[in-house]
Parts: sequence; structure tokens; C-alpha cells
Amino acid sequence: MILFILKRLLSGIVLLFVVASGTFFLAHAAIPNPALGLLGSGATPEAIAALTVKIGADRPVLVQYQEWLLNLLQGDFGTSWKNDQPIDKILALRLPVTLSLVTASVALSALLGAMLGTLAGLRPHSWIDKTVKAGAVILFALPGFWVAVVLVMTFAVQLKWFPAIGYVQPSESLPGWLRSITLPAISLALGAIVMIAEQLRNGIIQADAQDYTRTLRSRGIPFWRVALHLLRNSAPASLTILALLFVGLLSGAIIVEQIFGIKGIGELTQSSSQNGDIPTLLGITVVTVVFVIVVNLLLDIVLGWINPKVRVK
Amino acid sequence: MKKNTLTGIAVVAAAALALTSCSAGGAETGGEDAPGGAVPLSIGNFLDVTNWDPANADLGFDGPYLSAVYDALITTDEAGEPQPGIATEWQVSDDFRTVTFDIRTDAEFSDGTPVDADAVVAGLQHLKDGTTASEAYLNVEQIAKVDDDTIEFSLSKRDDTMLYFLGLGRSYLAAPSAIDAGTLSEAPVGSGPYTLSDSSVPGSEYAFDKVEGHWDAGAFPFDPLKITPLSDPTAMLNAMEAEQLNLIYTDKTGADLAEQNDWKVARGLATWAGLNFSDRSGDMGSPLGDVRVRQALNFAFDRQGIHDSIAQGEGFVSTQLFPTGTPGNVESLDAEFPVDLDRAKSLLAEAGYADGFDVAMPMAAPFQPYQAIVEQTLAELGITVTWEETDFMSYMGKAPTYPMYIAVIAMDANPVATVERQISKPQWYNPNPGLANLDGVQEQVDAVFAAEPGDAQLAEIEQLNALVTEQGYNAVFGQNENIFVSTSEFDVKPVIGLMFPTLRQISVGG
Repeated sequence: MILFILKRLLSGIVLLFVVASGTFFLAHAAIPNPALGLLGSGATPEAIAALTVKIGADRPVLVQYQEWLLNLLQGDFGTSWKNDQPIDKILALRLPVTLSLVTASVALSALLGAMLGTLAGLRPHSWIDKTVKAGAVILFALPGFWVAVVLVMTFAVQLKWFPAIGYVQPSESLPGWLRSITLPAISLALGAIVMIAEQLRNGIIQADAQDYTRTLRSRGIPFWRVALHLLRNSAPASLTILALLFVGLLSGAIIVEQIFGIKGIGELTQSSSQNGDIPTLLGITVVTVVFVIVVNLLLDIVLGWINPKVRVK
Repeated sequence: MKKNTLTGIAVVAAAALALTSCSAGGAETGGEDAPGGAVPLSIGNFLDVTNWDPANADLGFDGPYLSAVYDALITTDEAGEPQPGIATEWQVSDDFRTVTFDIRTDAEFSDGTPVDADAVVAGLQHLKDGTTASEAYLNVEQIAKVDDDTIEFSLSKRDDTMLYFLGLGRSYLAAPSAIDAGTLSEAPVGSGPYTLSDSSVPGSEYAFDKVEGHWDAGAFPFDPLKITPLSDPTAMLNAMEAEQLNLIYTDKTGADLAEQNDWKVARGLATWAGLNFSDRSGDMGSPLGDVRVRQALNFAFDRQGIHDSIAQGEGFVSTQLFPTGTPGNVESLDAEFPVDLDRAKSLLAEAGYADGFDVAMPMAAPFQPYQAIVEQTLAELGITVTWEETDFMSYMGKAPTYPMYIAVIAMDANPVATVERQISKPQWYNPNPGLANLDGVQEQVDAVFAAEPGDAQLAEIEQLNALVTEQGYNAVFGQNENIFVSTSEFDVKPVIGLMFPTLRQISVGG
């Protein structure tokens, strides 16, 4: 198992290097004169020239790359070209916000998705199953941003149960945090809930048709124990989807953060690319890739724990 | 099963109610008066503060942030006229080479040090050395202390716009200790009516603590004061309707919602939109060096149609670079180019382009609303456009390398600043003004800068405006306004040249 984890870690580091370096060169090619975007339309040529020198954008890209990579290896993300603030401090403020949102969405998706999927899978073609399937079709058809807008208009603007914008840190106020995270998390989770429910339902129905299930049933094993077997055998596919969702929701958070005025990584990515703040964009890329690697590693470990055949492979 | 379901619903409902009651008022402003006559103000700004160091800040949307924590040497009113700040008054010498400022002695930085002549000189020198603020100090050779309450600027040459730029936000004074420490970008230290609160979450919400005994406290009755950067217009309006914000930057949708919500609407000119001609000299090989081609393009566009459809009736139909209703703007010039396709075709024919010509133009998302009307209008003249798609970031750098491009450019209230920024001085959006190719324009620009400031100079500026408009310096479609809505207790006076006004332009009205 340790060798298995080490191999995954090594491939993760290679992936991180390739993605971060690729992003560096792509960003510099796409934004040839970053000072223009950083200063905005009121900029004078003198200010543009001064900022270009200040941020070092007048130097060859390879020199900039070498410096950035060496600093990164020492854990230094650099400072934002936009506001001179240290990028690690910016990320430390923004990352927990998005992770909080995505984790709440994944937890909600896992809980409700597993519940609905299990109920539908154990009773195929029942009213629950039909409702889950119909719900899946409807929720897939609805654009995510539309659902978010409806939620905010109903529960924030009209009923004023939840705030329309903003994020409260749990350390500041736990109920405040729960209020600020509820609508965005639901918006983000709706599609994921039905995806997990569908996957689990199909997995359970397939497993239910296997010989070992018939054997268990014929031996008079209690229903709940049979259900546990079914769940264990159907779980890997759902867990894989859950991990993919975690990664997918990180990017989905961009729209939700915008609609709910939440300043997380999604909003930072958008504003940094609009401004041409390349060092901040690179910082976001690095931490996002690290999270993707960690989530996939955790998935592999959990799958290996559930199903030893994975480790052998 | 049914009982369990009902119990579950009841639990969820109870939890929701508990959450609602637990934190009610946490983020809400409600617009109610706070004790001591102070009024809570929660501003929804379009952009985050660009930099807390005023030497490196961009003026556009920074107004409310910087004016909260810094005092300015001089400020501005909504007409762009310099007003007292730390400088109570100032005198310009007869030869326009020396400006003397009398400074007040009752201001104090938030680190406890006095705002004395030495500190003011240090603060201004920091701005002069800065990346962006230096634009106001281009002709300032030296800033020196005269005595304890007087400082003096020595200029290398006459400068008719320096005071305007200083007032617009290029004279925010930071404490010398913070300048020396190089920590302003993270922790601003000024002598403004507020300090940045520790509870602020950078990029998300800035809270400000009111400074007791500030010399101009009466002008800033806002407490608590919060500023939330929020670039999504829908989120901004939702927050306004949910009573989390009470003053926002918005668009026509927000203005339309104002009536039913009893909100006040304030409008202020901000930008002109149209075609920017980068090849007036003809150096790029396009036909735009011929004045008849530029005039033809001006006659071709249906400005009223563009105003009604794209600008949704907000702003003004105009052919001019000078903001409507401000000095330098000549109302009659707006009728200079009535839509007249026959005239346009005839001018093109006279110039030798009876069948039109081919031209490449850049295109990025913010300019797409204008793309169809530009393509259609040019096609009617036989001009075929090849659009070269790019992103906004690249657009800003690439656009001036094309003979013409769709532009939305910020305007100034000060007419001399307009002459410099829009006509005479090379800018990123206009690296080659091509004045030599415009009949009499260079001579008229010289006349503007030689004239006595005041009425004589204004007359020269109006004549210059007439010259550049008639010769199709650009094809201006119209002038656009920025819109702000506020709850009924606030009055907002937008400033041309600032995308968002400073706190001084926000007052508690009746």
C-alpha cells in the first residue's frame, strides 16, 4: 500500500510541474502586456511603462519562468501584480471559502444522493425510483446558474431567510456561516445529488441481479445485511463520481461564487484573469492541482480499502 | 413513514427559522439611523481596491476606499473643480511655475503622528515617485517645505491640469512611517475620516472604523461603513433588495427597479463610445488618413438608433469628446453629422473609395454589443470588416495597432485634461494622434496651451473641439453614464473622471 501511495505521489508531482509550467507559458503568451490590464483604461503610457518594469514583465519569459519556479520550490508564490499583496496570504483567505463551499456541496450530494440512490435501487420501478429518475432529468435540464438565481430571489430577496451575498467564516459565527453557505451549496449540489443517486441506483440494481445476492437472499439473510453487501459492491463507482465531482465543483464554484458574491478561488480566478495578474493565476493553478492530486490519492486509498483487488492491480 | 416525513419537514423548518433569527442583522444595514446621528452605509462597488498604496492605485473605482482612509492635499467637486483638503488654500504664481499650498495643522495620521509640512512633502514625494500617481506630477520638479504650514511646488513648465489631477485622487497622503516601512499595500496608514478595520476580509468586504475627532468629521456621518467589491450586477441588485447594501453601482436594470423600491438614482457621465481612428496620419496604409473617409464614417452611423438600442436610452447622443454639459462641449456640434448615407457614399467616392475598402478590426466581449451595427453600417458603404477575435486583455494592447477599432474611453470633466488625454498627448489607446494630418489642429492645440487660463483658454478649447469634430477625429456615437442607486436617505453626486465617487460625494439627504 505504501509503494502504491508513493507511486501516486510521484506521478502527482510530475503532473503538478507540467500543468504549472504549461499555465505559466500559456498565460504569458495570452497576456503579452499585463500592465495594460492591471492599470485599466485610464492608464498613461508612463504608468504602463513604469509598472512593466516594476513587475519585471520587460524581461525574457524564460528568465521570469526560472525565477518563478525557484521561488515556488522554496514555497514562495510571489506577490500579486494587481495590489502588491503576498499571494500566499490571498490564497489563505480565498481557499477556505471555496473549500468550505465545495465540501458542503459534496457532503450534501453524498448524503442525499446515497439516500435517494439506495431507496430507488432497492425498490426499482417504485414511486421513489420514478421520482428520482424524473427529478434527475429535470435537474440536469435546468442550468445551474438559473437554479442559483431562483434560490437567491426566493429565499434571500423575497423571504430574507438567507443573505443574498457574502460569506461568514465559521470561526466568526457558526449559524452565520451556515446561513451564508446554504443557498450556494444547494445550487452547486443539485446536479451532483442526482448524478450520485442515478449511479448508485444502477449499481445496486446490477448487484442485486448477481448470483451472490440471490444466494444471500435464499439463505434467509436479513434485508439490511443484504443491502449493506449491495452498497459495498456498488460504492466504488459512486465514490469515483464523488471525487470527480469535488474537482468539477471547484470550477463550478466560479459561477455560484459570482451569483452569491462569495470571494473564493473561483471569483479570484476570474478577476485575476481579467486583470492579467499572472502570478496570482499561477498560485491558484498550483493549489488547485495539488487539491486534485490529493483528492484522487484519497480516492485511490479508499477504493483500495474497500476493494483489495484495486491494490493488487 | 408519513409521520417521519412530517417530522423531518418540521425539523428543517425549525432549523431554518432558528438560523434566520440567530443571525438576523449580522450583515444587514436596514438603513436605520445609528446612535449619535450616524448612518450605516454599505457600498457595493464594482471593483476591489486596486492598491491601498495611493502611489500605485488606479483611480477608477478606488474613490470610496481611498477617501475613507486618506486625506487628500486637495479634493474635487463633481464639476472637477479643486476643493480644499489638507491644503486650505493655494496660490499659483503669475508665471505659472510655482504653486504654494497652505496646509492645515489640525490633522493627524492614524499612527498618531501629525500631518505637518514635512509629512505632507514626504507623502507627495511618494506619490510623485509612484507608478500611477506620478501622472499628476509630470511637470513638478520639486516639492519643498516653506514653513510649518506651507509647502511649495516648483514646476518645470506651466501645467493647467495638475490641480485637477491632484483633486481627482492623486494627492492622498500616507504617513511617512508606513511609506518608509513599505507596508501601505497591506495596511494603509492615513489621516482620513476612517481607518481600515481588522475585521475586513480583503477582496470580500472592507469595514472601516470611524476616527474620533477627525477635522472634517461632519462630512462623513457614515457609521458603520462597509464597502463590498462585487462585479456581478445581478448579485449587487439582489443584495440591495435584500437590504444588505444601500448604495450600489448599477446599470439600467437597477435604475428601472429604483422606482418600485423607493431608491434614489444618480447618473454621471463616464465614457464616450464609438470608433477610435488610429490611422489619422495614414501611416498604417488605410484610407483613414483622408479626412473625407473619416467624415463619411461619421455620417454613416445612426447615433440615435445606437443610443436607443445599445445604450438603452441612457446617456447622450453626441459627436464630441468633451462631456455633455461641461466646459469645452459645444452643443451645436452634436448636429454636425446627421445620419446621411448618401452623403457618406459621396464623400467616400470623392476620396477614391466609391466601392468601399477592406479593413481588419479587433473584437472582444465587452465591445460585442456594437459589433453588428458597425459591421452593418460599414457594409452599406461597401467597407468589408474582417473581425479578429481576441480577449479583453489583449484587446487593450492590440486595438491601437489596427487603423480603427470600437472603443469605450473614460472622459474628464476638466476641458484641458480632455485636450491632453483625448487629442494632443499620445495615450495607450491613441499612440499616434496624427495631428499633423489634421488641418489647423496642431496650431489650435498650441493656442490652447498658450492662452490665459479661464475664459480665453476655454474659447480656444471650444474652437479646437469644433476643428477635431468637423474633421472626424474619431466617430463618437454617444456618451455613456454611470448609474448609482441608493436607499432614500443618501444623495450621490458622481464625478466625471471617477468611475465611482469618493465618500465626499455621498451625503445624507432629505
